[in-house]
Amino acid sequence: MTETRLNNRQWLAKFMAALVPGALLSFGAMAVVGTLCHTTGDIRTVSAQFLMWMAVLVWLALLGSCFLFRSGARAWAVLGGAALLVWGVFGVLTKVIMA
Amino acid sequence: MKIRPDIVQVYREVHSWVGILCGLFLFVAFYAGSISMFEQPLQNWLTPAPTLPEPIGLEATPELLQKAFAEHPNASEHYTIVITPDNTRPARLMWPQDPTHRGHGPQDFVLGALSPTGDLVTMTRRPSEVPFFIDQLHEQIGLPLPHVVARYVMGCVALAYFLALVSGVIAFLPALKKMLFAVRLGTGARKVWLDIHNLVGFFSLPFHFVIATTAVVFAFHDPIYAVQGKLFQRGPVADHGSMHPHGHSGGRGNGNLVHAASLEGQMPPLAILDALRQQAPGFVADTLEYTTQQGKGKSQTTLRIAGHDNRYPMRGATNGFAMVDPLNGKVLSADYLPGHQSAGFAALTAFIALHFGSYGGLPVRWGYYCMGLGGAFLFYTGNRLWIAARQRREEKNAGEGLQTRGTWLLSCLTTGCITGCMTGIAILFMCAPFLPSGGSYAQASILYYMVFLLCVGLSFILKERQREPLLFCVTGFANIAATFVILFSITWRHASLPALSVATIALVLGCFLLWSVRRSACRLSA
Repeated sequence: MTETRLNNRQWLAKFMAALVPGALLSFGAMAVVGTLCHTTGDIRTVSAQFLMWMAVLVWLALLGSCFLFRSGARAWAVLGGAALLVWGVFGVLTKVIMA
Repeated sequence: MKIRPDIVQVYREVHSWVGILCGLFLFVAFYAGSISMFEQPLQNWLTPAPTLPEPIGLEATPELLQKAFAEHPNASEHYTIVITPDNTRPARLMWPQDPTHRGHGPQDFVLGALSPTGDLVTMTRRPSEVPFFIDQLHEQIGLPLPHVVARYVMGCVALAYFLALVSGVIAFLPALKKMLFAVRLGTGARKVWLDIHNLVGFFSLPFHFVIATTAVVFAFHDPIYAVQGKLFQRGPVADHGSMHPHGHSGGRGNGNLVHAASLEGQMPPLAILDALRQQAPGFVADTLEYTTQQGKGKSQTTLRIAGHDNRYPMRGATNGFAMVDPLNGKVLSADYLPGHQSAGFAALTAFIALHFGSYGGLPVRWGYYCMGLGGAFLFYTGNRLWIAARQRREEKNAGEGLQTRGTWLLSCLTTGCITGCMTGIAILFMCAPFLPSGGSYAQASILYYMVFLLCVGLSFILKERQREPLLFCVTGFANIAATFVILFSITWRHASLPALSVATIALVLGCFLLWSVRRSACRLSA
């Protein structure tokens, strides 16, 4: 495999990918984990507060690492795809749990 | 440590750009934040002592309550009993003048005391707002915007700050072993700044990661909780009220009815404190806050006890909380009671306490003060470095000291903002002891922003060579003048530890600034 050299030419696209689909992805992760641990969304509970921290930390991790994507398009594809995936999982989970 | 050189290069570029974008905001936030570590003692110092009779003993509080509620029925809806009165909270009993006011910061309180003959004496006032103003500078990164807007702007700056930390670490890691302790003092200015920046940055890294993460949480937790509410809540939305340290719940109702319901059957404060001491030994109560909510036909009184325990992290900036049954003194909720939290809440509290430095008492606060100043210095060196590097490159390209508009703008802003912030705060401390009731928020804003804008304006007018020495001199002299004015103010008010500390620190800071000007002048002429 030949490695391409990273550069910052598409920094804005990569950064926006972490900001927007990245935020959707971290919210999605929060939604899935929250559903799995049956949180009520009441902010007085430990689970709600931990989930909030989790969402922030996931988002920060994505922001910190987004410049490692080879191109802006790739960043959008990967993060957007991952966001769609977790929200899809959330949709299925709620159906299963509600049923 | 080996990292691919192209990755290092990418992150080095990211570091210099996000760093320059957020450096100045962060300087103000850190400088003001380090001072707001001592918001309470400062407020105590700046608020003049009231003209009220000495607070009665705790055992006589029920008598005071009865007399106060007889004259001011609506006081019983929401009132606070102070365990150890000080200048900020000088009376045993106080209640907000406007019970519906649920704002942020100091507000008008009615203070209730008993004269030696047993008559009720009240007065209304609010404590000095200058320390709160400095705290707001910290929270709003120095921007005079509406609080909500400023919070999101702060959040964006905190995101950039986090990114700057990550990229800075990656950019510095390859050279870590070689460069960490190599401060090349004898060489060019740029290398000295770089080495100091690396050294300070590396050793305060955990602190900065904690501050950056918590700042993002503080800025964005509301929308995230809103999303959670939409996702997970089923059925009617629960009201989050009295348990949450930020929120206050309270209802308005017919004052006379409240009066009839509220004191009856309640334990007197001394007995409540005894009961609490048995359930949570080591927790020192500061205030008992009673709130009565009117339900359908009946009223319910909740009691929130704020206090501190230096052995454990605390949820608030200075306090932990317990919800206690006012009828029998039983702890109803220990979710935020230091040392009695469940493991989950204790972990969450620890994250937040790491931002506030609300653990371990005074030594930790002083530690945070130093770390905060160190942080501010770090951002200053970062900006200097950026400017020095640009100037060097531009000189190489264009010869004879030509610089682009961008470099000039940043050079002016850097010097203007940091000297403006430091001078503004020095002037605040100089004036506050002489302002009526220790200074209001509006007075503090006018003073601070006037000085701030003056310094920024000056830095745009002055020539490159004079800019920094002159403005640093202004800041240095303002701090030294503040020392003498504060010492003078002590002669006609009582001397207190906060006043002496502020005076000492202003003196040291002022001397340091003047010394640095002298030093760089020597270097330039050499």
